[in-house]
Amino acid sequence: MTITRINIGPIHPSTHGVLRLVADIDGDTIVRVEPHIGFLHRGVEKLAETRMYMQNPPYMEKLDYLAPMSYDEAYVAAVEKAMGIEVKERAMYIRVILLELQRIASHLFFIGTIGNDLGQMFTLFMWAYMDRDMVIDLLEEATGSRMFYVNMRLGGVVRDLPPDFEARTLEKLNYLQKRMGEYESFIEKNPVFGERMKGVGVLSSEKALDLGVTGPVLRASGIEYDVRKNSPYYVYDKLHFEIKILTKGDNFARYKIRLLEIKESIRLVREAFKRIPEGDALGMPVKLRSPATKEKVAVISREVPKGECMMYLVADDQKPYRLSIRSPNFINLMSISHLAQGVRTADLFATLGTLDLVMGCVDR
Amino acid sequence: MEEYTKEEFMTAKKEMDQLVYESLKGKEAKPNVMFAKMSEISRALKVSKGMVKWARVNSLWPLQFGLACCAIELMGFGSARIDAERKGYLLFRGTPRQADVMIVAGWVTKSVVPEVKRLYEQMTEPRYVVAFGECATCGGPWFESYNIIRGIDQVLPVDVYVAGCPPKPENLFEALMKLQDKIGGKIED
Repeated sequence: MTITRINIGPIHPSTHGVLRLVADIDGDTIVRVEPHIGFLHRGVEKLAETRMYMQNPPYMEKLDYLAPMSYDEAYVAAVEKAMGIEVKERAMYIRVILLELQRIASHLFFIGTIGNDLGQMFTLFMWAYMDRDMVIDLLEEATGSRMFYVNMRLGGVVRDLPPDFEARTLEKLNYLQKRMGEYESFIEKNPVFGERMKGVGVLSSEKALDLGVTGPVLRASGIEYDVRKNSPYYVYDKLHFEIKILTKGDNFARYKIRLLEIKESIRLVREAFKRIPEGDALGMPVKLRSPATKEKVAVISREVPKGECMMYLVADDQKPYRLSIRSPNFINLMSISHLAQGVRTADLFATLGTLDLVMGCVDR
Repeated sequence: MEEYTKEEFMTAKKEMDQLVYESLKGKEAKPNVMFAKMSEISRALKVSKGMVKWARVNSLWPLQFGLACCAIELMGFGSARIDAERKGYLLFRGTPRQADVMIVAGWVTKSVVPEVKRLYEQMTEPRYVVAFGECATCGGPWFESYNIIRGIDQVLPVDVYVAGCPPKPENLFEALMKLQDKIGGKIED
């Protein structure tokens, strides 16, 4: 058979952003896929060197615009580590609650778009986006913004949770838990969804470790690794939750693991509300001069919705001397060359979709 | 519930066909709306002038084209809460040849400029551009970056600017209503 080379993107309705794929196809089967990236590169790491410490969080949020708060928190935690600042007890719980709500919002968005990738326009998307809007409303209430929150300050958060926030959140989470069952029956009872997702794009556990993928993609391949459990930060060691793992490592497992993680996150938020102490949660106000740094280098590892994010910060007096970001999206994207081998051309986008990529984080 | 045998059913069907045939006899077939002349439609809608403009204003089809963060709010614009369909902005088109308005959502890097230009050139005239968000308007937070052009208006003629980082979906709704006013001649250029 002759091998045809086709070009997909960089601007394409279903590549989840500005990504160019060059695919060699044999008939309808993909032989080789090569991602070309860099269309959203704007030099965040370089820009961060020219900004003061607390001017940087808005830039870090724009890395991953589906889970901005996770990156905001990771950066602020790196600065806190460099300055040797302790986070207040109540602020820790507030951070955990908001981060888990952010994780729910990010995974709901994934469930919505996977329907589009399979050509199921737009029922699932409308459902998931409606529920995501509900979670986003909670975050907006707690932080004051719909998308870019900039809610973290050194040692705490900008503002305490609003009154009656707990009751409203729990009410909405109860509704969401009921909805999760509806999603499951809607998706998993659908024979087309099962046929096109099961056994496609299989990533074995050995290969997953070789490629260095993290997050739900790794856990769907049967490796039990979660930064929240393996090296706990904040109050994750006091809260009860499980690392969900699935062994198959195909597209269906990567969808299912995210659905299970939403349920775990709901459980985490409920428990955090039970244990949250009274007291002060406000962080330091942003001033012209920030406190002096104590450590030269600070490395922070965080479990963001897409995987493991690391921030490597070399501290200077008032600005970062160097900031390096380990983007989980970038490393997960590189597994597409392996995953897409042998799948049908139509399933390429479903396989890409299950990696849950955000190109802003890949290109930085 | 009564049950019919197959024969009874067939006679009932024949009688029904006969009734339909008789009721249609002696009447002209209605013209197909798809192939009607513009003048006929304008007579029917009682719009004496500006028929084309009227149609253009009420069916703005955006191009499905997102670059960065603002594209998420663009999706929110198409989703259940805002329901963009009610004003005629439905159907994010996958191909530029069917689209009327291009919503530039996100920062425009130097490497993506040729692609955006090409998409714009592929759209059929008349075509409109909405700069959605700070980055497409003026460069936004990245104005000092080495790889960003400071606003899409350096490359394309922009009709409406939307401020905000990111703007809410409601703001896009308002911007498209402004664009309708502009096409309809209510706002001077």
